[in-house]
Amino acid sequence: MNTGPVAFPPPARARGAVKPWRAWLHERLGLAGLEKAILGGEMPGGASLWHTLGGVAAGLFVVEAVTGLFLALFYAPSVQTAWASVAYIQDQLPLGWFVRGLHSFGSSALIVVAGLHLLAVLVLGAYRRPRELNWMLGLGLFGLTVLFALSGYLLPWDQKGYWAKLVEATIAGNTPVVGGAVQQIIQGGSAFGNLTVTHAFAAHALLLPVAFVALVVLHIYLYRKHGPTPKWSMSADEIVARTVPAWPYQSMRNAAVGLFVLALVMLAVVVHHGAALESPADPTSSYLARPEWYALPLYQLRMYFEGPLEIVATMIIPGVVTALLLALPFLDRAPTNRPSDRKRVISATGLSLIALGALSALAVSKDARDPVYAKGRAEEETRTREARRLALKGMPAEGGLAVFLNDPLNHARAIWDERCSGCHGLVGTGGDKGPDFKDYDSRAWIRGFLENPEGLLHMGTAKIDKGMKAVDGTREEIDALAEMVYAQTGAPDADAARAAHGRELVAQKDCDTCHELDGEGENAGPNLAGRGTLAWIEAVIADAGQGRLFGEKNKMPKFAGKLTPAEIEDLAHFVIAQKTGH
Amino acid sequence: MPEHPTDTRRAFFAMLTKGLGALAAAIAVVPGLALLAAPLRRAIIRGAGQPLRVAVDHDVKPDKPIRVTATGELHDAWLRLDHVTVGSCWLVRATEGAPIRAFSTVCPHLGCGVDFNEKTNKFDCPCHASSFDLDGRCLSGPSPRGLDELEVSADGHEVLVRYRRFRTGTSKKVPMEETPE
Repeated sequence: MNTGPVAFPPPARARGAVKPWRAWLHERLGLAGLEKAILGGEMPGGASLWHTLGGVAAGLFVVEAVTGLFLALFYAPSVQTAWASVAYIQDQLPLGWFVRGLHSFGSSALIVVAGLHLLAVLVLGAYRRPRELNWMLGLGLFGLTVLFALSGYLLPWDQKGYWAKLVEATIAGNTPVVGGAVQQIIQGGSAFGNLTVTHAFAAHALLLPVAFVALVVLHIYLYRKHGPTPKWSMSADEIVARTVPAWPYQSMRNAAVGLFVLALVMLAVVVHHGAALESPADPTSSYLARPEWYALPLYQLRMYFEGPLEIVATMIIPGVVTALLLALPFLDRAPTNRPSDRKRVISATGLSLIALGALSALAVSKDARDPVYAKGRAEEETRTREARRLALKGMPAEGGLAVFLNDPLNHARAIWDERCSGCHGLVGTGGDKGPDFKDYDSRAWIRGFLENPEGLLHMGTAKIDKGMKAVDGTREEIDALAEMVYAQTGAPDADAARAAHGRELVAQKDCDTCHELDGEGENAGPNLAGRGTLAWIEAVIADAGQGRLFGEKNKMPKFAGKLTPAEIEDLAHFVIAQKTGH
Repeated sequence: MPEHPTDTRRAFFAMLTKGLGALAAAIAVVPGLALLAAPLRRAIIRGAGQPLRVAVDHDVKPDKPIRVTATGELHDAWLRLDHVTVGSCWLVRATEGAPIRAFSTVCPHLGCGVDFNEKTNKFDCPCHASSFDLDGRCLSGPSPRGLDELEVSADGHEVLVRYRRFRTGTSKKVPMEETPE
């Protein structure tokens, strides 16, 4: 950087050996003044870990801003694209899960650190005169942090985000007088929809950051103006004697604690492989909505206030606590910062913490003991895995829940409706020109076929000339033959002995006049080897007129060439899936 | 240079702070850069690799290029569209019965849509006036190469084109979809 001829006046009165580029910049920007403004503070009474928390919170906010920017480069806010783009970030882009994880766990860390910062300020008495306004700014920043978290939670438009936000929006809507209007503005309409996502995203990524940065600048300015509050136990002389420059003594502690917190966040990210992403929001489901951990106390508190009293938990208690906190510097008339002089403040703080902890613990332990909750969680986990796996195939344009259309069975159902349902039935009412596949290839279906091949559910509607005759035999013989056919499908629960008995009956009952059993031979009826397996059904769909299948008696159109092999396979899976019984 | 022992300590702490701060910054920024660089290493937009039906044979008359669109499957980031316009091309036949050739409408210069000028019987780019003959050769203008020819398969009835996109601005014809998955 400092190579080449120096084309500007060399530093004249700089301390020590100042690099020429610094001198150059200083001349134009007043670097030293800027440096002094940023790093020039002092720590009366010395640097301490107590005083790291504000700096660490600010650092975490920067981490949130940076990771948030990267995420915004890939996120698309709309009902159709939100889940899809987040799943794409999470499961397909390199380190997307890590960046998203840092952003999500980082926000939790930010709430914890900001909370601890608030606590330290309470304990040190740093909210007291002349720092009242900065205390209020700090509370405002804490409120913005929570709003960040609340608005961000919705953005993936997955089950947990959707339902948690729905409950919160409804709570906002229950505010007396203005509630309805507030709710409609927050969610951009009378119900959750596209404008809910765009509103939440604009708030989360534009409005809140601007407001937060503005308040932080004021907050730091006032902090620097009044300086940090030393521990109450120090005398005035001690404070002066121990004073050190904030840079680098306090900064070093800030950086070390910040890095430690970041390491914990990274640990959480790696252990959980990034932030959770549940299945796409399903407004018709009965999802067991739970808020994020930081809102659990309020969630639990609400349990104790039913009906018209609900507002006590959702509005009145939080409102009163907020008002008390804001007014605290004016209510606290203690002569010194000593906790012993501020017994009411300290004990109220302690009791509040215990209450928050107890409410959270109650909420968690209640769910932990609840089998309904466990079942709901297990179902959601299965659904999540399925949705995330299917999203890898590429999302349908409808987005969200349409991911389940990627399921081969769903895909096959669409093909079925278009190509097959004209002739075949699915629900046991019979097809128009071919067999009904309700419970297809179950023992009952096969037995029904053997007993009455021309039945409504079997080949009757196909009206095949010289079709199969009903098998004449005892109940046991027909069971054995049915078991033999059943075993051909590869069903794992086939009874080998009975099937073998059925195999012996094939010649006896003259089945072999029309049916071969070697998989190759052609005859009037289909070759029974492997009948009902995936490959066999695929072959029937592709071309049922093959010699080893229905040959000249076939009436079903050929689908090879009209459907891709993958579509035929999906369809064969679909037919097999119709078997629900045994 | 610091001389006093306190100055040494202070310089060390300052360096340590900067080091820790840089590490924290790297943790936040470097994975994000990897995310940002994803499009360099994978195809974000992937068109259909298979031949798409664009026209019927007798629609393509000698010396009368027609512009057709190819409809097929398209992957765009997270999205998969099964039936969407993936691109368009010009179909050209020199003489009656001669094989049909297909040229992408994307100008190899900067990617504008090349049009056919019936008066001059040439393909003209509306943006920067590159001009191409019916064989796709660049006759004038800034285009670094001729029009990009696409693979055609015709069975005498249906005309199928394997639609692809190519890098613009280079003299070599490099398919874009060949970025590894």
